[in-house]
Amino acid sequence: MASLRSTSRLFAAASRPLFRPAAFARSYATVEATQTVEPSPSENPNMKTFKVYRWNPDTPTEKPTMQSYQLDLNKTGPMMLDALIRIKNELDPTLTFRRSCREGICGSCAMNIDGVNTLACLCRIPTQANSESRIYPLPHTYVVKDLVPDLTLFYKQYKSIKPYLQRDTPTEDGLEYRQSPEDRKKLDGLYECILCACCSTSCPSYWWNSEEYLGPAILLQSYRWLADSRDERTAERKAALDNSMSVYRCHTILNCTRTCPKGLNPGRAIAETKKMLAA
Amino acid sequence: MASFARPSLLRQSLAISRSPLRQNVGVSQAVAFHASARKQILPPLPQRIDGNMNDPVPVPSPKPTEGSYHWTFERAVCVGLIPLSVAPFAAGSLNPVMDAVLCTLLVAHSHIGFEAAIVDYFRPQRVPKFYSFCQWLLRAFTLTTAVGLYEFETNDVGVTEALRRIWNA
Repeated sequence: MASLRSTSRLFAAASRPLFRPAAFARSYATVEATQTVEPSPSENPNMKTFKVYRWNPDTPTEKPTMQSYQLDLNKTGPMMLDALIRIKNELDPTLTFRRSCREGICGSCAMNIDGVNTLACLCRIPTQANSESRIYPLPHTYVVKDLVPDLTLFYKQYKSIKPYLQRDTPTEDGLEYRQSPEDRKKLDGLYECILCACCSTSCPSYWWNSEEYLGPAILLQSYRWLADSRDERTAERKAALDNSMSVYRCHTILNCTRTCPKGLNPGRAIAETKKMLAA
Repeated sequence: MASFARPSLLRQSLAISRSPLRQNVGVSQAVAFHASARKQILPPLPQRIDGNMNDPVPVPSPKPTEGSYHWTFERAVCVGLIPLSVAPFAAGSLNPVMDAVLCTLLVAHSHIGFEAAIVDYFRPQRVPKFYSFCQWLLRAFTLTTAVGLYEFETNDVGVTEALRRIWNA
């Protein structure tokens, strides 16, 4: 397993700059292919500092601190989550964070890494060993411990938009509710949302008004049901959003679209919702 | 037994690993700032969850005048301002009606914009008195601006002509 990890690091962005003239790229690729010798960790360690936000609810009077950890990148997997798991396994078992699927489908490991909300399992460790990485919990959330934010309000808001198909009339043939491929296409870019709360917690409007403003993640989910051709409560859903706070605290800042680790566009979904409400 | 011994062991290792950080606190001032509790401007209140964990948040009653109608009006004003602010200079002619419409839309536009800022930053649940104070202050300013513009239009040269003279001065 260890050897697998370090070779994957070699093939990853270990020595590859982001932009390189195409003429050099060819020759480099062959050179790299021959240089698959694994560097022995002891003689050439690639140490990197990780600064992690720590706060312990058992000692609530102590201020939150940034704790530094040093890891050898040659022995660590390519992603931030690998580094965090390694810190927890080998350096400090008291470090607390959520993680589950390690492949960007559960949304548990959402955190603020180097100033950007993202999933730790989808975020590569920057390979410049001299630079340090800073890991914080999601901004403007109530912290349960270390990197674990309290998402109770987020889930309560999600429940308030009734995220399920609402229908009164059965189909003529009594089979499943079908829709045309065009109608199905409207849901692309909406159904992929995993509710990791990266976008909502990056939204300044949601920072100030999270009690009433629903936030980009919930509004994207809301639009997913507004856009669904099979749903029959569109008018009801629109009425639930038609007030000054639920949608209209969105000022098109578009931090949500910028930060989404799944590459979705909550800003567009909110704009479509506004258009639906105005029509 | 091991389970008794373990927390204290952990705490020791934590204390050891944290001690270098304590010495470096002065070095990293950004950390000190972010970790500091001395943010006195509207500090966040303790977390409050209304109702059961599984209850949805209450859905507000629909108010289109504050929601969709308001948004449509705001967009219409914004879009209308673009031709109105270009047309008098492009056409090169002065028209008091155009001037009046431009001034009305300008006042409405700025009122809506400042009102949005007040609603964003001073929530009536958090600072009810300051919220209403800001709202009345904004209304007073809007009224003063409207009256001032009316006086300027009727007794003086008007906004468009004034801008033209400043531009050509």
